[in-house]
Amino acid sequence: MHIQLQQIVPVPLKDKFSKRGSDVWNNNLQFAPGEWIKIKAPSGTGKTTLVHILYKLRSDYEGTILWNNTPLQQITGDALAAMRQQQVSIVFQDLRLFPNLTARENIELNRVLQEPYCESSTIDAMAEVLGITHILHQKAALCSYGEQQRIAIIRAMVQPFSWLLMDEPFSHLDQQNITKAAALIAAECTKRNAGIILTDLEDDTFFKYHKTLYL
Amino acid sequence: MLNQLLKKLIKTASGRARFLMAVAGLSVALLLILSAVQIQANYNELLYSKTNQDSVANFLVINKSVTEKTVGATNLSDADIADLKAQPFVDELGVLTPSRFKVAAQSISDQIPFYSDIFFESVPDEFLDVQTADWKWDENVNYIPMIVPNQFLDMYNFGFATSQDLPQLTQDLVKNLPMEIKIKTADGKERYYGKVVGFSDRISSVLVPQTFMDWANARFGTRENTKPSRIVIRTKDPGNPQLTSYLSNHGLTTDADKTRFSKYRQVVDTVVNISWITGALMLLFAVLIFSLFIELTVASCKEEIGLLITLGAAPKQLQRFLMKQFFPPNIIIALVVLLILSVLQWLLQQWLQTQHMYVSAVLSYTTLIAAAVILLVLWMVNRFSINKYIKRNA
Repeated sequence: MHIQLQQIVPVPLKDKFSKRGSDVWNNNLQFAPGEWIKIKAPSGTGKTTLVHILYKLRSDYEGTILWNNTPLQQITGDALAAMRQQQVSIVFQDLRLFPNLTARENIELNRVLQEPYCESSTIDAMAEVLGITHILHQKAALCSYGEQQRIAIIRAMVQPFSWLLMDEPFSHLDQQNITKAAALIAAECTKRNAGIILTDLEDDTFFKYHKTLYL
Repeated sequence: MLNQLLKKLIKTASGRARFLMAVAGLSVALLLILSAVQIQANYNELLYSKTNQDSVANFLVINKSVTEKTVGATNLSDADIADLKAQPFVDELGVLTPSRFKVAAQSISDQIPFYSDIFFESVPDEFLDVQTADWKWDENVNYIPMIVPNQFLDMYNFGFATSQDLPQLTQDLVKNLPMEIKIKTADGKERYYGKVVGFSDRISSVLVPQTFMDWANARFGTRENTKPSRIVIRTKDPGNPQLTSYLSNHGLTTDADKTRFSKYRQVVDTVVNISWITGALMLLFAVLIFSLFIELTVASCKEEIGLLITLGAAPKQLQRFLMKQFFPPNIIIALVVLLILSVLQWLLQQWLQTQHMYVSAVLSYTTLIAAAVILLVLWMVNRFSINKYIKRNA
């Protein structure tokens, strides 16, 4: 699945970026299937905005985004849902778990939203790797931020996808857990031949990126 | 599994009291509407089914009521007749043709002597209740067949004969009584034989065959083409309130005994209509409450629904789930109401049977169709509200 960005700039950041350049804003870009892309930027330059624009959570931008040559604006309703179920998975910066569901239910929900991609036991296996087996039965609201982050990562892994969007996915994890999570993600993406778009503040060596772009 | 998780996220329990109110309202509304349909069906069955009726068709002789205003002007115009013929309750209409010449009848027999000025009327044969081979006339037949009202004979036998010390007559005797008919013409009198061939309960007039009437009017008629003043109609239901109100509005009158049921009919119609209107209003409110209940449920789970859609839940998936939550109670309500009505109908049938009135022991199919139609409407309302509120949150 190709992603093309044509002269994208968010309306609220328009003035700011008319003065200084950016690898992404006001540029023409193409992300090929399976590409792993790092987007690096300081705070307040629109990392989360970019992720939300790509995931079609907001549309207050100028320019055009094409998913497989279809303008994102034209993908709505059930087609958009199908895209989010089959093509694009996401780890939000603010995680967005259902506070009243348990950790397992949060993950399970994303697994059964479509024809399940993996077995239910996969959840246990992944939870084991990330060391959150003991909180699977706990309500998400009662989990620490680091635990919630790992729940959100596993949730993103149990569905089919060809692109994985991640917005500062490891911000609350220690180095050891980051290594484990990154290895898990890399394995899952390789298995699916999926692309990665990851935003973060600093340079990192979590993945073998094909490209690094500066916002 | 998905449904279980959705059930946990989208709780309908938040408005249990409202839900029960909506259910109660809907049940009463359905009960009222469907009983109205069933009562109407029962009533139609009582009126029109063969077991409850002596004859399928009824005949009414209609004329203008004779009042101080209409004296001498009781003729019916062509427009009057055409208008009456166009009414839905009139199946067939026949004109009673009056004779336009003077006639007298005289007995030839010495034992039963009589002489009387009389008049003739004729009516198309299909309106007659007397079937006899003698009912025909052409210029070669030497007698004029007549049908007289049964009431004439009754009046003679039980009134006149007893008071005048005369013998009572049987129908057969009268049929064999030779009679001379004298028709007054411009140059004297023409004499014919007359013969009573039958007695009618339907039309109180001395009837002769239409062929004779046409011939005689043409030959002896002294006045110009006289307008008819009486007509006979065939109707399925003489108790039809529409019929009675039409007659009274147009200053017409008929045998009141045959139309007396229209009074009861009007009362029943009113009751059924009130039930209809009340039921329809209640249905409207119940549907409103249901739709508000759906809106409230969706509104109280706004964040959850928003996040579900963000994660990739299809609006269709959520709509299907919500329909599964909201629609089955409607089906259950309809089934329970139909069950209650079935029991009531059975009891009614048992009771009416003791009164020698016969209705079906099971619900009429119109009631079932009405229930299905209402369910369809509820389904559409549910679907419409769910789609609307989901779209608003998507």
